[in-house]
Amino acid sequence: MPALSGFLWLISYWLIGEVVIHFSGLPISSGVIGMLLLCATLAVRGRVPNSIAAAAQPLIGLLAMLIMPGVVGVFFIVGDLAGQWTAILVALVLGTLLSVLTTLWLLKHLIGQSHAS
Amino acid sequence: MPANSLLTMLTTTPLFAVGLTLAAYLIGSGLFQRLKRPSWLPAILIAALLLAGALALIGLPYATYRQGATWLTVLLGPATVALGMPLYQQLPRIYQLWRPLTICLPIAATLAAFYALAIAWLLGSSDTILASIAAKSVTAPIAIGITEQLGGTTALLLGALLVTGVITIPCVSLAARFLHIDDERIIGFALGLNGHAIGTVRAFELSPLAGAFASLGMSLTGIFSALLLPLAWRLISIAS
Repeated sequence: MPALSGFLWLISYWLIGEVVIHFSGLPISSGVIGMLLLCATLAVRGRVPNSIAAAAQPLIGLLAMLIMPGVVGVFFIVGDLAGQWTAILVALVLGTLLSVLTTLWLLKHLIGQSHAS
Repeated sequence: MPANSLLTMLTTTPLFAVGLTLAAYLIGSGLFQRLKRPSWLPAILIAALLLAGALALIGLPYATYRQGATWLTVLLGPATVALGMPLYQQLPRIYQLWRPLTICLPIAATLAAFYALAIAWLLGSSDTILASIAAKSVTAPIAIGITEQLGGTTALLLGALLVTGVITIPCVSLAARFLHIDDERIIGFALGLNGHAIGTVRAFELSPLAGAFASLGMSLTGIFSALLLPLAWRLISIAS
């Protein structure tokens, strides 16, 4: 069962992340620490073991489904914020559009520059 | 048997919430394919609307559903760790761009929070609302921690995350067309940096390369914001 042992690896890295947070007090999630540790481990080994690939590939495909239960909660707080929604929505939509434009523009020029030099 | 006690019986097992989530996800993805994958209506939004509709229809309280769905959401931990694999596989390409990415990230991640906060503040939003939407571009597990530190409400934060994630997708395709960008590395990075997990999922639909840059953008934004936002909040409250 390669997928099962790969899954155990993923869980172990997540648990290591929990331990790191407990002792360091970093305001980062254990998933992100686990992800960076996994990436570092793979870089040291120089290849992706079959077991990790067998577990990681399907899980990544399921990410959208896994965040759904949290996402649905939004529809149940709409009533609590009556009158505030317009300001919040305008801020989020306009803010995101501006921020996306900035990111794309900035990266395009920075990458263009490093290619030119 | 009256419908009410039937529902009570079914919801004693988490399998009901799990089954409901799977069904909404599959139907949502199916509809998304049928509609020819519109960028303004991502599969996750269709599925979330279906699920919310189903909960309202059968009268299942969200808190009860959420409790059952924990059996699925607990997998978010290992799934986030799993993102380390595409990150490793794309390391050579990321390494080629380490300089522009290092310059871009702090500026773009700061502005991602700043624009929305400035607009909301100008429109007269309360401090609690500002604290709740500050982490709007940060991936959920990190964003929840940040919001608690700032004194915002988690429910509103998750709402802000959904709106931001969903709106990021059409914003990126529009802005990329406007700026004549077709480099999947840039598009992926912008999707992950601004649209956290929802943007990253979209990037993986485009290509593994875009997906890897999105995971990178998402995780770097998360780490950077987790350090920056609480600090900035403390400075502002000292100054005011």
